Amino acid sequence: MISTVSPPAKPQSYKTNVEIDWCPGCGDFGILNALVLALQELKIPNENVVLTGGIGCSSKIPHYVNVNTLHTLHGRSLVQAQAVKMANPRLEVISASGDGDGLGIGSAHFVAAGRRNVDLTYILFDNGVYGLTKGQASPTLPYGEMPKSIETENIKFPVNPLFLGLASGFTFVSRSYSYNIKHLKETLIRAMKHRGLSLVDVMQPCVTYNNINTKEFYDPRLYDIEKEGWNPVANNESEYKQKVPQAVLKSLEWGDRIPMGVFMDYQTETYDEKLQRLVPDYGKKNYVMDPIDSSGKPLNDVTDLMNSFS
Amino acid sequence: MIHDLNLMVAGPQGSGINFTSDTFAKVMAREGYHVFTNAELFSTIKGEHSYFRVRVCKDMIRSYSERIDILIPLDAKSVLLHLKELSHDGTIIYEENLDDPRHAAIPYKDILQTVATRFGKALSELNVMKNTVALAGATKMIGLDKEKLKKVISENFASKPKIAEMNNAIVDEVYAEFGQTRTFDLEPTTYKKRMFINSTHAVGMGKIEAGMKFQSYYPITPASDESNYLESIMDKYDFVVEQTEDEIAAINMAIAAANTGLRSATSTSGPGFSLMVEALSYAGMTETPVVIFYYQRAGPATGMPTRHEQGDLKYALSAGHGEFPRVVIAPGDHKEAFYDTIEAFNIAEKFQLPVIVLLDKAMAMSNYTVDPFDLSKITINRGKLILSETKDYLRYRFTEDGVSPRSVPGIKGGLITVAGDEHDEDGHIFTEDADNRIKMMDKRMHKMTSVLKEVPADLKVKFYGSPTNKKVIVSWGSAKGPILDAMEKAKDVSFLQIRMMEPFPVEEAMRYLKGKTIIDVEQNYSGQLADLLREKTGLEASTRILKFNGRPMAFEEMVEVLSKPKMEGREVLTYD
Repeated sequence: MISTVSPPAKPQSYKTNVEIDWCPGCGDFGILNALVLALQELKIPNENVVLTGGIGCSSKIPHYVNVNTLHTLHGRSLVQAQAVKMANPRLEVISASGDGDGLGIGSAHFVAAGRRNVDLTYILFDNGVYGLTKGQASPTLPYGEMPKSIETENIKFPVNPLFLGLASGFTFVSRSYSYNIKHLKETLIRAMKHRGLSLVDVMQPCVTYNNINTKEFYDPRLYDIEKEGWNPVANNESEYKQKVPQAVLKSLEWGDRIPMGVFMDYQTETYDEKLQRLVPDYGKKNYVMDPIDSSGKPLNDVTDLMNSFS
Repeated sequence: MIHDLNLMVAGPQGSGINFTSDTFAKVMAREGYHVFTNAELFSTIKGEHSYFRVRVCKDMIRSYSERIDILIPLDAKSVLLHLKELSHDGTIIYEENLDDPRHAAIPYKDILQTVATRFGKALSELNVMKNTVALAGATKMIGLDKEKLKKVISENFASKPKIAEMNNAIVDEVYAEFGQTRTFDLEPTTYKKRMFINSTHAVGMGKIEAGMKFQSYYPITPASDESNYLESIMDKYDFVVEQTEDEIAAINMAIAAANTGLRSATSTSGPGFSLMVEALSYAGMTETPVVIFYYQRAGPATGMPTRHEQGDLKYALSAGHGEFPRVVIAPGDHKEAFYDTIEAFNIAEKFQLPVIVLLDKAMAMSNYTVDPFDLSKITINRGKLILSETKDYLRYRFTEDGVSPRSVPGIKGGLITVAGDEHDEDGHIFTEDADNRIKMMDKRMHKMTSVLKEVPADLKVKFYGSPTNKKVIVSWGSAKGPILDAMEKAKDVSFLQIRMMEPFPVEEAMRYLKGKTIIDVEQNYSGQLADLLREKTGLEASTRILKFNGRPMAFEEMVEVLSKPKMEGREVLTYD
């Protein structure tokens, strides 16, 4: 048998040497490149980064980034990413999903994640179709559209990831574009630096199946809301409550002009801080590295608990 | 002198029946008695008819009795339903007059009025304390020092001292005013310190002793009692319990936490486990050491959520698409639940695979006395876990025993790539190479052979009774209690408790069962263990004793069926 194991990446590199199997011209490449550039700029040691993916074309991205990676199940990227961060808050956690993965089969986790506000970055590869199964309509495909890959027009309303993210409690909500690497890289860096749950909704053409939402479609329409005066930062709860409805209104724009940029940036209690209220030593002790036994003998002792039942 | 005493408290759910039986059980346990309880309740919070049994004996008891010596009905319906179970020389403690010589007439109204007046309350406000009147009546007839009862009441109401005081005033009044005509003289015993617990406590303590750091769950009867118990102590023992949005999230979180390096688990029941099945297959493929605590209840679908059944054995063995290694073990009592919990984590980490611990409603809700656990014999084995700098690391490296060194995020030189697609040794998925597939399948499945070789013998099977008996019972899980109790009467039967169902201990089963008359005992409709036994060994049970009415097996019905001169191929037990 010929070993198919890929040659190891250079230790410091954020790119693996695994051969990439996306279609030529796929929007995924832009996201991969922007993510690698962002990691290079932030210089976080590779071993301290965890990237999760679900199932789908985009969810294969973990194999191309030279960090710890969990290629999970369909729809479960975000939920596993949250558990990684809860298990070890010292890690930088990034979660990747397609729109079908994240907002179709995984939508319950998307909503629940907003309630927790775990400090991680969620990248939504948003192309309107299920690419890996040959282009069925995904939850973000606009109403009434009929890309060449589907048999009938789309008679379902689309989910708006930004609106849903704001409604669910994501504390950093943004949109970028896979052909604007500079903006995407900067947005990813801001998302990673944000303490709390960040959403980066990336407009991304599927060159094979979606002949409507193409580069030619997006290029003239996308505009940067921050360049037009929008300040996404909410400094306190009352500013947040005031800004949410405005951000929602902006998120509803679609048509000749499509907004991108950061819609909301609100620093509030993260999940590890909230957990500390319940478990005082949480985050102070290192659950991964601290031993649970000494030469095979447990370090915990349940004698007091046993006594409580007598 | 009576050998064992059986008390039943029955009434509408929410009327304090649980409190009454629990307080009685604790008082008796503190006297040094063995106490066994059985809870039969509806899947509602208030109103429906429910009943709790408490059995007390100086000797070890592991099942409930059909006989009732003291019946405490808290409404008329309970009188109608349970009076027929009351023994001839038993007593019924009830507030209204009954035309039955066994009726213990306690002046409920006078007692409650006296206490109400003393505390400046209306009589109606003390209605909820009727059960205390009955409870004190029962302990007086048993001849128990009232101060002992009052002490437990005070502890139970530690956060509400006024309520405790009023209840204890009622106890004083009952002891002063109730001129009982009969007594229950239990054979005396000497004090021995025991815990009064159910399996959710045993598993909870096992998880802490095992060093578990992460548990995820979605609320479901009867499993969530365990998670709720853990939540109540996570501040002191420093771990996280996460209530998730659904069971899919629960298992995925447990898997991710395990792959981050924590001992992690999830607890659920049948419907929740059904949602976890895809991820179970993923855990097998990704070689993730995750432990699933599966508290069975009566199915299918929503079934009878608060009732008992062992109906999910075959499901636990086969759930999940594709072929992957898993270990399925089933403790048979609270003590085993504690030790098995720790062993489950050891097996999971040592062999890097999912482990399912099968429990059931009877274990989750039946409190009984257990000797304190022996902590000195516990060991922790984390297998090939790497927690310091490494190099040339491959998560799925081929090894002799199929188990690869296991790094986690944060380890320099030990980047992990975990993937549910078929993968290379490095975890990358862009091979569907045929030879690699064979090697990877062999690698994973080989672990089952290693498990069989390496797990402790008494985790596979346990044998009880004389090896020369011709008749041998095979059974599993909580059916163990009534079987062992009945064997004290039916002495011509032995018992092989199957403790590990996957991988199946064929050699041990053959050693104890070959040439014997096999009697299968299970709390399900079809006899799933008997089917499994036939599949794995070719041995056929001549009788299947089954119970599937949602109630655990009673002591007497087990004795009766085992004493039959000739058993049918299928014997169905029906006591409720």
